[in-house]
Amino acid sequence: MSVQDFALAAEVAARRRWSATAALLALVVLLVVLSLGIGPVRLSPLAVIEAMFGGGSDVAQVIVREIRLPRTILAFAIGGILGLSGAALQGLLRNPLASPSLFGAPQSAAFGAVLVIALGLADVRSYALPVVAIIAAFGSVFALLAIAGRNAGLLILILAGLAISSFAGAATALVMNLSSNPFVVLEIAFWLLGSLEDRSFQHVALALPFIIAGAAVLLSQASAFRALTLGEEAAQSLGVDVGRLRLYVITGVALGVGGAVAVTGTIGFIGLVAPHLMRPVIGHDPARLLVPSALTGSALLLAADIAVRIIPSTSDIKVGVLTSIIGVPFFLYLIMRERRALGGGVA
Amino acid sequence: MWHDPHPNPPPQAGVGAHLFDGRHRASSHLAAAIAILLWLSSASAAFAAGPRIVSMNVCSDQLVLSLADPDQILGLSRFSRDAWQSWAAEKARNFPRLSGGAEDVLLLKPDIVVVSLFDKRATRDLLKANGLHLVEFTVPRTLDEVRDQIRAMGDVVRHPERAQAEITRLDAAIARARAVASAHHYRVLPLERRGFVSGDNSLINSLLAATGLTNAAGELGLGTGGFASLEAIVKLRPDFILVSEAGDRAEDEGRAFLLHPALERFYPEARRIVLPERLTVCGGVMLADALDRLTEELQRVTR
Repeated sequence: MSVQDFALAAEVAARRRWSATAALLALVVLLVVLSLGIGPVRLSPLAVIEAMFGGGSDVAQVIVREIRLPRTILAFAIGGILGLSGAALQGLLRNPLASPSLFGAPQSAAFGAVLVIALGLADVRSYALPVVAIIAAFGSVFALLAIAGRNAGLLILILAGLAISSFAGAATALVMNLSSNPFVVLEIAFWLLGSLEDRSFQHVALALPFIIAGAAVLLSQASAFRALTLGEEAAQSLGVDVGRLRLYVITGVALGVGGAVAVTGTIGFIGLVAPHLMRPVIGHDPARLLVPSALTGSALLLAADIAVRIIPSTSDIKVGVLTSIIGVPFFLYLIMRERRALGGGVA
Repeated sequence: MWHDPHPNPPPQAGVGAHLFDGRHRASSHLAAAIAILLWLSSASAAFAAGPRIVSMNVCSDQLVLSLADPDQILGLSRFSRDAWQSWAAEKARNFPRLSGGAEDVLLLKPDIVVVSLFDKRATRDLLKANGLHLVEFTVPRTLDEVRDQIRAMGDVVRHPERAQAEITRLDAAIARARAVASAHHYRVLPLERRGFVSGDNSLINSLLAATGLTNAAGELGLGTGGFASLEAIVKLRPDFILVSEAGDRAEDEGRAFLLHPALERFYPEARRIVLPERLTVCGGVMLADALDRLTEELQRVTR
């Protein structure tokens, strides 16, 4: 390949990345509009637009701006941070099966939140909830990486993740039994399924600062992920402090996932799926994968949250259930594809 | 309504049907009343001072507490002192609290055990098998059923005159509430955590109806009860919502529903009728207090 050919190929790839990102952005905008337009009360598109900009009846205004808008913002932000966290973890571990939910981070964050709810320590709309959830998520990811070690194979990571999720689940059940709130079992059961229903701007204010902080931390490490693809030693010679990078990633994931789980409960598998959908289009550069993965995550969660409103059912379907129903088969497919690597891990 | 247990208890599968079938209910009721009268007359010598009673359900606790003499009460249910569920929680502190299982009841050897058909079946069967006399109450859905239960408990504790006085008190409270409410035909939406709305077949619905208020559940397409969406409630805009708790604390997401800014915008405190759960969760003598509270709340929100 001549130098010119190489430059041409690079240019084609770059153009494809940009057009893919632009298409994703357009898709997200479309889904945001749909999300504002769909709900149990039928409003015409015109009424929605009017209400959005402060016109129309006050009922329509309240429905669009105070019920649907916060839900849409949360779906966008939480889907985004989950996709970004997945891409960052996969970049850090150079491992396509890494994702927050397989590592028990949402489950642990949920344990933190449940602890606050079940023991009645604070109002569910207070900052105590995300703070405790973030601490729990940080603890779980930290523990996982400490247990698995630096160059852990897939098998060890997944086994350790499984152990941590199970532990978080058991701890959640225990806390439930100790609660004096008579509704706690039902509430926590709903919580663990994950839902964006009837969230308000109070919830947005609760989650968004942490999600933005987490996203900023993860995005700032983009070049380090790229260096890391050359191997840990090569990255170190390029000036990447791998130990510090790990700490940054854990912090970013914990901030984002903890903040998200504190208002929606556990929503799984978006972090796993989003980067995989983007890899064939964007390529394997983990730095370039971050933003498209985040957008894909947003699109996935927005679409799932629209779907739960459309699918006819007697009681509302939880969005976390839907993402898992789609995500788990996808995970199984990935395992099948990675079978050789996994088999190697055993041997 | 209640059932006096037959030596061979009737199959409980029939219970649901009794609730909805008025004629069947009336006849089974009569039969039950006769059965208990016969039984009481045959056993009367055994407890001249009135039967000694154990109650195993928080709702029957409250009936027993208001109708029986203190020395008749041997023990009350596990939740009897829970001020959130029981209107008579304070009074219940003067009496032993049971574990909820069969053991301590067997030890107390009461003349009558009052239970709810919603209590654990296995425990009830065990008590019956050990020769205890159980009187089983269901959950009343209408004010008529409430009157029947008060009367029935009056017979069980052998103070029918107190039962009659309580029924008179209840009827007076209904009349007072009617006087305030019936002229306006307000549409009230009884709204619980997570947006649950009580429909036709609920006690709260019969309270509203007796007062001359309209349950807005029907307009939401939830005639038999169910979950209402925040959007639908905001669109319907009933005159008032009826909730069980005032205040601004959301201990969980279910309660946060009722404090959602969209709901608070149209239903601030001044448009929320607050009836504490302990006044409405059971059908019993506390309903008179519930109705008086409803009257006060209506006066507050319509002022």
